[in-house]
Amino acid sequence: MNLRKFLPALFAAAPLLSQVILAQVTDKQLLEAGEANWLTYNGSYDSRRHSALKQVNTSTVGALVPKWVYHVPGATALQTVPIVVDGVMYVTQPNEVYAVDARNGRQIWDYHRIPARQKGPNRGVAVYRDKVYFTTPDAHLIALAASTGQVLWETKIAEASDGYWSPAAPMVVKGKVLAGIAPGDHGLNGFLDAYDAVTGERLWRFNSIPKPGEAGSETWAGDSWKSAGGNTWLTGSYDPDLNLLYWGIGNPAPDFNGDVRAGDNLYTECVVALDLDTGKMKWYFQFTPHDTMDWDAVEIPVLVDAPFEGNMRKLMAHADRNGFYYLLDRTNGKFLAGAPFVKRLNWASGLTPEGRPIRIPGIEPTLKGTVVCPAAIGAANWQSPAYSPETGLFYVVAQEGCGFAHKSTETFRPGGFQYRATGDVNMKDDDWKVYVRALDLTTGKLKWESERIGSTGFGGGLLSTAGGLIFSGEQNGQFGALDAKSGKTLWHFYTGQQITAQPVTYTVGGKQIVAIATATDIMAFGLFEDHSK
Amino acid sequence: MPMAKTAAVPLLLAFALIATAQDKPANPLGASPQVAEAGRLLYNKSCTACHGPDGTDGDRAPALDGNRRYFRVSEAAIFEVVKNGIPGTVMPSSGLSDNDVWRIVAFIRNVRATASDLVVPGDAQNGMAVFNGAGGCVRCHMIRGQGGLLGPDLSSIGAQLSLIRLKDALTKERPVPNGFRPVTAVTAKGEKLSGVAKNSDAFSLQLLDAQGKLHLLDMSELRSVEFSKKSLMPRSFDKTLTATQYRDLLAMLAVQARTKVRAPLQGENEIGR
Repeated sequence: MNLRKFLPALFAAAPLLSQVILAQVTDKQLLEAGEANWLTYNGSYDSRRHSALKQVNTSTVGALVPKWVYHVPGATALQTVPIVVDGVMYVTQPNEVYAVDARNGRQIWDYHRIPARQKGPNRGVAVYRDKVYFTTPDAHLIALAASTGQVLWETKIAEASDGYWSPAAPMVVKGKVLAGIAPGDHGLNGFLDAYDAVTGERLWRFNSIPKPGEAGSETWAGDSWKSAGGNTWLTGSYDPDLNLLYWGIGNPAPDFNGDVRAGDNLYTECVVALDLDTGKMKWYFQFTPHDTMDWDAVEIPVLVDAPFEGNMRKLMAHADRNGFYYLLDRTNGKFLAGAPFVKRLNWASGLTPEGRPIRIPGIEPTLKGTVVCPAAIGAANWQSPAYSPETGLFYVVAQEGCGFAHKSTETFRPGGFQYRATGDVNMKDDDWKVYVRALDLTTGKLKWESERIGSTGFGGGLLSTAGGLIFSGEQNGQFGALDAKSGKTLWHFYTGQQITAQPVTYTVGGKQIVAIATATDIMAFGLFEDHSK
Repeated sequence: MPMAKTAAVPLLLAFALIATAQDKPANPLGASPQVAEAGRLLYNKSCTACHGPDGTDGDRAPALDGNRRYFRVSEAAIFEVVKNGIPGTVMPSSGLSDNDVWRIVAFIRNVRATASDLVVPGDAQNGMAVFNGAGGCVRCHMIRGQGGLLGPDLSSIGAQLSLIRLKDALTKERPVPNGFRPVTAVTAKGEKLSGVAKNSDAFSLQLLDAQGKLHLLDMSELRSVEFSKKSLMPRSFDKTLTATQYRDLLAMLAVQARTKVRAPLQGENEIGR
């Protein structure tokens, strides 16, 4: 090859760098969430995790076979949700991002943050224009070049030495990168940040714990607001018409002893609706006022437009860690309906017309221990739910089991120490069960359930497709496809390792692929093709 | 004799400490750039009958930097061979004074250091202007988020290469690193794609073109694929740039270290002006 000729020819189309047009993920693409790609953590801004793809469907799913496996080096318990853009898949583990060819799993580039603070998990990237965004165990937001993984900029979200880290996949809306923070269990106050997608400059911060004098501060006794928790360790949702972000807020601190923080402890255990442009809160709804069970309300808010009591309504569905399913009006946060989605729930007898739990006295952590159901791990957790507009059902991974909950006194220590004031022990002799449950959207009534037999822990979240399928990865290593209407298992594949991530689907070369992270690998499945002919 | 036993232990420890200190004395002249530069001049005068100048390889003796492992790494071990030679080999004793040997030791340690550990003369700010302008480097290379995507990111290059290897990269033909091999592919439709192969196997090719666009190709869809063994990197910056531009470019690349960079020494920026 003649390099003298080659080099100028290579650049002929790009005389200046600034004129180079790179592969782009546009606002329009993110809004439309087209079926070929998987562009955000939950597939679309409404977080339904429902794909319009139906090449793999109830009739063809029997022919679903593994297409490729990509081993993530050193992985032990991946929670990454793959993001797929025009045939390139981005997957992560703490401090690391990998771009792989989504057709065959061949690696394109890898990025490693050095020095790497060991703190996990990491749940994935966000993509926008020519960049990939990623948050780190040392609480930084990093922008990488999508085609090479080179660092374009990095911004400190919070001080890692204070004890903060960032596990959630960021979300990009209209040029703003939304990035949250963990944990609440160290008494560190939470917030949600918006950063300029081009420069990394911080545009606004929503503090989830109000300071004295601000609305909501009256819900914190004394100085308890200073080490109060309320973090944002999962990704939220966005409604373009209302221009509102919906984000779940985590537990108050100390987790299990509420005596030092009398009051409702706003805005912990809430979903907050924030104006995208300013970060100002429009409304909030609190699922567990004055929580003492570490029931972070970060579970994904799912946005659905559907009839409710005869009128089309803008709804928000949410299955909370506290065991109740909630339906809200997402224009104003008004409670519309709610019901338990687990049978083993002993701490509340129901919900008031305003959606506030009716507590049963004494069912809370005590010095000598109390059985509380659900346990602190929750009836639901970070496993994403799904909603199918075709069945009108809300699908959630539900866990049945109780904890023996204790409290103690503990003093807050700065620097990232636990500030939990004890906790609960899962009742070992309890009959722990995990289910995929399909709930009626508007009533929360159980339509069907499929037990994850052999699992005593959650496993991964769900994916719904227009092929009439719910894909579900289990703690015990089974990856299955359920009939969205009946819950019947139509296909399964034993991956040989624990699954703690939710699946995605996309097309490449006109062929539908379903992909999921297992403990150590990314596995991709497609319909069988006989290449010998 | 319990008393004698207990007394003997601290005594032995003391001997051990002295012995260790004698095994590895620190360079009494220190390791400042001035000492190393004096050592370089001495080295080029005294050692280049066999070794090459500035620590490169010579006709009869190997380079002192480079891609090999060395038996003698510590200052004491290097002092020993420069002072007394290596018995059974052609490496003779230098016959230099102890202080001159220590100067050479400082120089050899510098040769093996990464470029970012050294004080490399030149104006790094002007070097960045050369990187962005006359050198044309910015078209393919990125430093801290600014630049092209086709070549390796240089944000930490000073911490990755010794100064000699850095000079080699700008002036000598080097093997193409993985992920940067030039490739031209012609698709079945006759479309010609040129760039670098990020990855490839018998069935697929991941090609990055000069516009930063990835092309994910099946070998079965391609009419032809031609890999080049020769890097896209020009290798004659010592000739195509002025002496000042080349020096400043080197000085700028040498300080690129994404992790902790040493504090600048007093008067460092005046060196070489």
